[in-house]
Amino acid sequence: MVAETSSAGAERGVSLQTLLAHPQARLLVGLAAVLLFLIAWQIVGAGEIVRSDLISYPTEIIRTFFSMAASGELTTNAAVSLQEFVQGFVPAVLVGVAIGTGFALSRRLRAMFEPLVIALNTSPIIAFVPIVVVWFGVGLQSKSVMVFLASVIPVIINTTTGIGEVNEAWIRACRAFGARRRQVVMKAILPGALPSLMAGIRLSVGRAVVALIAAEMYVSVRGIGRLIQVYSTSDRAAEIFVLVAIVSSFGFLLVTLLRRVEDWLAPWKRDS
Amino acid sequence: MSAADLHPPARGGFRLSDRGEQFLLGLLGTVLFLVAWEVAARSGLLNPVVVSNPSRIVAAFLGQWQSGDMLGDVRVSLIEFGVGFGLSLLVGIALGIAMGLSRLTEYAVDPFVWFLYASPLIAFYPLIIVWLGFGFTTVVAVTFLLSVVSIVVNTMAGVHSVDAQLVRAVRAFGGRRIDVIFKVVLPAAVPLILAGVRIGLGRALHGVVLGEMFSSNAGLGYRISFYAAHLRTADVFVPLVILVVVGILLNQVCRMAEARLQAWRS
Repeated sequence: MVAETSSAGAERGVSLQTLLAHPQARLLVGLAAVLLFLIAWQIVGAGEIVRSDLISYPTEIIRTFFSMAASGELTTNAAVSLQEFVQGFVPAVLVGVAIGTGFALSRRLRAMFEPLVIALNTSPIIAFVPIVVVWFGVGLQSKSVMVFLASVIPVIINTTTGIGEVNEAWIRACRAFGARRRQVVMKAILPGALPSLMAGIRLSVGRAVVALIAAEMYVSVRGIGRLIQVYSTSDRAAEIFVLVAIVSSFGFLLVTLLRRVEDWLAPWKRDS
Repeated sequence: MSAADLHPPARGGFRLSDRGEQFLLGLLGTVLFLVAWEVAARSGLLNPVVVSNPSRIVAAFLGQWQSGDMLGDVRVSLIEFGVGFGLSLLVGIALGIAMGLSRLTEYAVDPFVWFLYASPLIAFYPLIIVWLGFGFTTVVAVTFLLSVVSIVVNTMAGVHSVDAQLVRAVRAFGGRRIDVIFKVVLPAAVPLILAGVRIGLGRALHGVVLGEMFSSNAGLGYRISFYAAHLRTADVFVPLVILVVVGILLNQVCRMAEARLQAWRS
């Protein structure tokens, strides 16, 4: 009797483990957990077990998304945020690659100025928002500067490391076959440094988005962060969830897009 | 340009004199930066009232030191940091072990962890204020939420890195689950946990500043925002510099601990 129950228990344990070993198990269990969470949220929110203006609930959030999209406030504010982001992010990548290359080429330059970069990298970048607003005003410019500051640092660091990790044999091979300096850079150094550089750019997306939203929330006239600030003063949880979802999806989409770009630029990496 | 110029550190590492030279060059770069700033402000190239300059910042530092403002702010931030990060350590390591040992837990919690990691948590702070009120609790909650994820993820990775055969051996010789956790899993996972702690420390510092800037009336983050609103730019830099220095110190301490541990393990 005792032996029987214990063996039945063991069998159940084994079957759970085999189920979890299924290739789709991660996805299915994850989906189930998220679904359970959403259902519980819906019941607690819609049933007013907790005040729904504080926590909202999934169906209200979806409804709110459509009404906000219809009113046009989403597109106008998202356009402003996007413009601020691009104006800060693109220069950050260009300047970051330039400085990072400079660090990789000159040991002196690196020793002199890398400490400042490291200092900025380890400090909480958000703390610079107030002073940047004093310097660049409450408009678009101060947000672009924050995006720039937040994203330039990982690009610099990863460009320097990336170039340092380029396979020396590639460079020697290029030179042995009579490649000129520009060709060495284009054919060996840049492709070799690409994975590290792209990782730096992806890393800086998240940091830039946070810096942008923080700066807009701190003080601004327009933008997604501004909307979050406005709705927070009136306890509108549903609107805030919609806005958070938009910001998160933007970061997620951009990182996915960058991965695609990397696959396209460096097809030899995809297989490994 | 030769290959050697491209990555000097790879060439046989640094000799002692190289290290000294590196340090001196770093110092030189920093001093150059400060002098350029001071000169630009004094010559009127930059507006000193808006941009401030190093000598004004030093004066502001002494002023805040004497008035006692600085110590009070540092204390408030330190307590919030300690409580928030302490909670992160407890919850993060416990959850990380649970996820590392049980695949069911891992699969179920994973989406939430990644959501927390990928979403701009700052946007939730208005809701957190509504839920927890203005001040201490909110700052602690933001600090906790920002720093817990890297500890969870790294602890889980650390547990996964443990040799499964070792675990089976301990179990076979009658080790209980609790023995396995404390005598096999935790010690083996420590290097990765420490790396997570280092990342978490930086994020926790971020959280404290964020929380204080937006929802507090004390602490370094609040003070930065307060001075900026009153256009006291030199004063803004004092808490800012303190934060930068604290960030560097925390990072260095963690790196040293990691290096020590590595030396001890090998």
